[in-house]
Amino acid sequence: MMTQQPAAGALHSGEACPISAQQGLFAGYELGAAYDEMFGVDSLGGPTPRPHYQSLHDRLLQTSPEDFRRRKAMTDLSMRQDGVGFTVYRAEEGIERVWPMDPVPRIIPAVEWRQIEEGLTQRINALNLFLWDVYHEQHILRDGVVPARLVLQGAFFRREFVGVSVPRRIYIHVCGSDLIRAANGEYLVLEDNARTPSGVSYMLQNRQVIKRVFPSLFNDYDVLPNDDYPAALLDVLQYIAPESVPQPTVVLLSPGMYNSAYFEHSFLAQRMGIELVEGRDLLVDGNRVFMRTTRGRQRVDVIYRRIDDDFLDPLTFRPDSALGVPGLVNAYRAGGVALANSIGTGIADDKGVYPFVPDMIRYYLKQDPLLNNVETFRPEIPAQRSHVLENLEKLVVKRVNESGGYGMLVGPASTKQQRDEYRRLIEANARDFIAQPTIQLSTHPTFVDGRLEGRHLDLRPFILCGERVTVTPGGLTRVALPKGSLVVNSSQGGGSKDTWILADKHPANSRKT
Amino acid sequence: MLSRVADALFWMSRYLERADHLSRAVDVTFQLDLDLHGVLANPVEFEWSALLSLLRQPPPQIRNGEDPVGAVQRWLLLDITNPGSVMSCVNRSRNNARSIRGSISPSMWRELNKLYWRLSDAALPARVAESPHEFCEEAQIGVLLFHGVCEATLMHDEGWHFIQLGRYLERAEKVLRILDSKFGLLERAGAADLPISNLQWGAVLKNCAAYEAYQRLYISRVEPERVVEFLLTNPEFPHSVRLCLTRILQSLTEISGRLPDRCDDEVVRTVGRLLSDLVYLDGAALDGERLHSFLGQSLGRCAKIGSLLQQQYALQ
Repeated sequence: MMTQQPAAGALHSGEACPISAQQGLFAGYELGAAYDEMFGVDSLGGPTPRPHYQSLHDRLLQTSPEDFRRRKAMTDLSMRQDGVGFTVYRAEEGIERVWPMDPVPRIIPAVEWRQIEEGLTQRINALNLFLWDVYHEQHILRDGVVPARLVLQGAFFRREFVGVSVPRRIYIHVCGSDLIRAANGEYLVLEDNARTPSGVSYMLQNRQVIKRVFPSLFNDYDVLPNDDYPAALLDVLQYIAPESVPQPTVVLLSPGMYNSAYFEHSFLAQRMGIELVEGRDLLVDGNRVFMRTTRGRQRVDVIYRRIDDDFLDPLTFRPDSALGVPGLVNAYRAGGVALANSIGTGIADDKGVYPFVPDMIRYYLKQDPLLNNVETFRPEIPAQRSHVLENLEKLVVKRVNESGGYGMLVGPASTKQQRDEYRRLIEANARDFIAQPTIQLSTHPTFVDGRLEGRHLDLRPFILCGERVTVTPGGLTRVALPKGSLVVNSSQGGGSKDTWILADKHPANSRKT
Repeated sequence: MLSRVADALFWMSRYLERADHLSRAVDVTFQLDLDLHGVLANPVEFEWSALLSLLRQPPPQIRNGEDPVGAVQRWLLLDITNPGSVMSCVNRSRNNARSIRGSISPSMWRELNKLYWRLSDAALPARVAESPHEFCEEAQIGVLLFHGVCEATLMHDEGWHFIQLGRYLERAEKVLRILDSKFGLLERAGAADLPISNLQWGAVLKNCAAYEAYQRLYISRVEPERVVEFLLTNPEFPHSVRLCLTRILQSLTEISGRLPDRCDDEVVRTVGRLLSDLVYLDGAALDGERLHSFLGQSLGRCAKIGSLLQQQYALQ
């Protein structure tokens, strides 16, 4: 069904121009202004599958909507029976929801993945060097590369930790950076999650489910397995144990079953074979940490904590926290126990610090960044402030010191009243904000209402830093299910996809074509 | 093992056993009710209120236009405002399992979760009004599947033994309570009531999943004294109180890592004494008041075992 025949090249102008010449599940598939993962544009301006998607495209074309619907239902059932859910806080009972998975996988060719891998490795190395520096000599602040005020007055800077040495000088052991794809196909880093990033269990679970539900999709591809993540994480955790301990006891500290990421906590603990503990299971005695067991106390050497800094220890941080362990922070400072991630990593993924990450890479590593940031304006600088204030309806404005989608203005979706409010806020306190152009995240065929439609998505790969840096081949692809939506968060109608990284064996990365 | 995990395993298993017993009791009572309809003046009153008093449950609020028996069934099976209903027990069991998901095998969690979703299916409660059988059977099969998967996929280590403790302690207590609620029938049964008595004592056996096993062993009519003896002292039947206590003692021994005769803790002593009493029980002493007082004492000792376990292993 051809709705419109656009001129070649119109795609890059940024205007929406629907193209559709598809059949079967793809009937009515439209290309918009965004980069589409599956379809490029041929010389006539029509959609044509990119080479690494050709086999998947052909197979989907042969799949009837009924068959696909059945497989989608199997996916949902499988997720529900495994209890792959997240918890949302609601007044009524039945607080569990299952995060929907779309059965059409997202495919990333080896050559693109290599670039992502190298870029992320470079980035986490720079962030760890930055954290060591700002908690010790603070060269980067004295050299004026990053404004000192931004760091020292940041809400996530823990001055209690200045001068404290952390095991192996690693602060961020587990990082989940969010990547998006601009209209020209370039991967950009939207943010670095360097505190307690979640989502890795969905990456692993999605692969298990799609292998069960749609095994034939794998026939034409060499997909790299992602299953090694829990073992690699355990290696990292054992690596940071106090050196005198030959067989360190590692535990995962969770806020408990009412936390939204509880599924992931128990999943990872189980896959690593370690205890999942809550704050009430632990006690500190003489700067050493113990867990309460049926046979008395047992020493704990390493804690993979999935509790934010603020709730970790009521004696040091929030006194009202019932989730934490009194005395844990002092035990950590004294070297009695290792923590991953370290305390105070929030200053590295602070939105105010984010624009300076490329400068950090140049400063510490003497390299050019391999992955770029999203263009970011700082209203604090007068020339940029006027640009921001004049273009509020086109920009995304974010409050620094906030995360998780709070304190945000999405210009194109905002009302005049909201823009006026942000205008006032920015004028009053410019340094509290950053602004970015609204990026049309790339789109991908996604099963909606009995056929495939383009939906926007992002990518969260998982980076581990221990003896070496490893980026697990894969990641969590989050997809915004409502048409046109750019918000991929699970709480806002988002879903996920299995993410395939292709092996580098064959020129075309495919066995049978 | 973490004390909190041991506690959750114990209760996960105990609530599931409770759900199993209750769903079997409702199903058996429903069948008995149909049988007695023709012979008793008011079987509804009689059997269903006997079940409620056995469970120490108040009679439910009857909703507008609701059939009284339907109300009892809804209350005991589905009502989540009743903490003792089958739905509530499965829910509590699942919540305990969820709080320690990492300590049970993924397939155990999956079975328990499937059970929960099957019972929560909106269509099922609607059919309970006509017959509770399907719901009750789903619940019992779900519990059996769970334990089958547990047997085959979980390490038979300390945690597994806490699961056995919860299961067998609950079972011993339930069987004792069923016998305790029926001992009055022993006294009252005259020759004319024989068919009715047969039905009622048959129901006692069915409540303990023991009907066929009993028939196989005794090859006779259902005789009350033999039923009591069988359910209390048979060394091989999985629902006899004696076998339950044997399993409890085994698990306690494994958990403490010591031989039973070397155990100096109060839990093991209490279990051991009750078990000895059952092993050396005088069959002739099993009538009337003496039975009643023996059952009462045994129930008290089961409760004591529960609280001693909490002290000993710092369960919450």
